Amino acid sequence: MMNQLLTGPHKPPIDLKGSLVFSEAVASGCRYVRIKTDLTIPASSPGQFFLLRESRVSDPLLGRPFASINASRNSVDFLFRVVGRGTEILASLPPGTRVDLRGPCGNGFPVPRSRRLILVAGTLGIAPFFDAALRYGSTQEIITILGVPGHEWREFAGWCKERIPDIRIVSDDGKIGNSGTAVEEAVSMFRSEDEVWACGPIPMLKNIGILHSAGCERLFVSIEKRMACGMGGCLGCSLQTCSGTVRACVEGPVLEWKEVLWNE
Amino acid sequence: MSDFGGLQIDVGGVVLDSPVIIASGVWPMDPSMWPEASLKGIGAICSKGTTLEPREGNRGKRICETHCGLLNSIGLQNGGSVSFVQNDLPALASSGKPVIANIAFETLEELRQIIERLNSERDLIGALEMNVSCPNVSMGGMSWGVDMDSLERAVTEARCKWRGPLWVKLSPQAPSIAVAARICEASGAQAIVVGNTWLGMAIDNDREEPFFERIFAGLSGPAIFPLSLRLIWEAVASVNIPVVGCGGICGPDEALSMFLAGASAVAVGTGLFLDSSLPVSICFKLSRHMENRAIANIKDLVGRGRHFRGETGVAG
Ligand SMILES: Cc1cc2nc3c(=O)[nH]c(=O)nc-3n(C[C@H](O)[C@H](O)[C@H](O)COP(=O)(O)OP(=O)(O)OC[C@H]3O[C@@H](n4cnc5c(N)ncnc54)[C@H](O)[C@@H]3O)c2cc1C
Ligand SMILES: Cc1cc2nc3c(=O)[nH]c(=O)nc-3n(C[C@H](O)[C@H](O)[C@H](O)COP(=O)(O)O)c2cc1C
Ligand code: FES
Repeated sequence: MMNQLLTGPHKPPIDLKGSLVFSEAVASGCRYVRIKTDLTIPASSPGQFFLLRESRVSDPLLGRPFASINASRNSVDFLFRVVGRGTEILASLPPGTRVDLRGPCGNGFPVPRSRRLILVAGTLGIAPFFDAALRYGSTQEIITILGVPGHEWREFAGWCKERIPDIRIVSDDGKIGNSGTAVEEAVSMFRSEDEVWACGPIPMLKNIGILHSAGCERLFVSIEKRMACGMGGCLGCSLQTCSGTVRACVEGPVLEWKEVLWNE
Repeated sequence: MSDFGGLQIDVGGVVLDSPVIIASGVWPMDPSMWPEASLKGIGAICSKGTTLEPREGNRGKRICETHCGLLNSIGLQNGGSVSFVQNDLPALASSGKPVIANIAFETLEELRQIIERLNSERDLIGALEMNVSCPNVSMGGMSWGVDMDSLERAVTEARCKWRGPLWVKLSPQAPSIAVAARICEASGAQAIVVGNTWLGMAIDNDREEPFFERIFAGLSGPAIFPLSLRLIWEAVASVNIPVVGCGGICGPDEALSMFLAGASAVAVGTGLFLDSSLPVSICFKLSRHMENRAIANIKDLVGRGRHFRGETGVAG
């Protein structure tokens, strides 16, 4: 399958136990957490993710998938937004809580080949790009674009800017950074030899296809699906592509834009 | 060789090194995707339900978490019986674990043709597991496992055509699990698996419509455990063939309860989403429990919970 070709053979994720070290509120209903694990975390690449759940608890039952924003041998950081019951409960866990992690799951973004890499994020879609900016900052010229709806995301945008100082922020209402969408900003920056990675809501990922029409040959998107096993067993995360049905947790979540059947 | 002394057991013609089976549809078909921690303790692996022809599976959302449970509407996405025999079966068999080939069918003709294909690779298959939760098209869509005449016809047909051990995985929706179990035994099944997911549903309150495109979906996970245990209890009392307990086992204690109720093996599904080392944890628990009570062989653990108040109705 195409993404296997890009990332080499898959390694199964492993199950790890750990403890919540800290959990900080970042404005806009977001949470920044760090997990310290008992055992070593296998090396991961940007775009790979972990399933996170509270240990020995049956409700919520399943781990929730989050991209790691920074991982070392024994600790991994996540940035997530409270959108429902699972994330609400995860956000309320006090430091010291025991948690289960499964990962690293999925393929992650391929090693960039172009000199310049444009990272395009819609709100929490920024999560995998902290790691990417750090990892490839010394070998690639990187442009990171964050799009947010409006002024209520000011603190969140500020939090991201502290970590990626040259991030370009745009907002739909023009109250933070330039006015416009992340896709519009990417289009204005794009040069034909650039590689572009995008992560965010589906409509944004679909729209970024405009760069495909503009000649972008390496255009990758990270797609979110509900997940149960995170390791290719349950087929709960299946996704239609030009090459057939794939599992977002194994052959994805990163796919070439042109492979995705956007109207399915 | 078993890693755990005393846990080896013959279940309906298949010798398992450990009595913990990976249930159908929850585990990758490619053993290179199995986390190393999970390998120890697995006695057998059921394949994803295979149909005669490839199936795309259901559209729309496929999983929905509920309180202590999981609703799924995968729709038997699979590559079909030809691809199964060519790709998945050899891959699964390369793990060295017995492969339980799970099959689904909508007509008796489909059942015959699938079995014909599987017979060509009989040596790679530990047992055939008939999933009878699918609709019998000629019966207006009622599932094989719910209509007892259909069940009898299907099991009889499979027994006549299949050259190896035959297991039937019953549906909890059967009007009486005891009757369904007896029909399977009388029709030639060598073991029954009790059971599959429980039919449930969810409503998306924001959209004011059913969550799943196909409206109903199968419930699994801890929420169904007490219901499954009751079914095992009833099934074990009604047949002399081994019963595999399946449904909601997410920890070693639940697995032990299944054995005490009379199960000869257990199958785990949703529990693996939470912990891939569940099989080995179950084996440790069983070993410890047996050791404490000076039980040398798992066979002597099976049904021990039924001896209360003089009841001894343990079959198998
Ligand atoms: C590979 C991957 C990486 C992700 N990385 C991050 C991240 O770094 N930070 C972050 O904030 N979020 C991330 N998500 C999304 C996150 O997993 C979901 O927001 C979360 O699982 C919702 O759980 P819940 O119980 O609160 O939501 P629910 O109560 O189940 O649902 C609330 C809303 O969230 C949506 N939702 C539920 N599950 C998912 C899901 N798996 N993916 C997307 N939307 C979902 C539902 O459609 C619904 O609209 C990622 C998802 C995937 C698949
Ligand atoms: C995602 C998913 C897919 C499943 N697919 C199949 C299948 O293809 N064939 C089958 O017989 N059972 C299938 N099952 C049922 C399981 O094998 C098992 O019987 C059921 O989930 C109850 O056990 P559990 O609570 O341990 O998961 C599936 C279950 C889940 C959760
Ligand atoms: S989440 Fe189970 S196959 Fe992807």
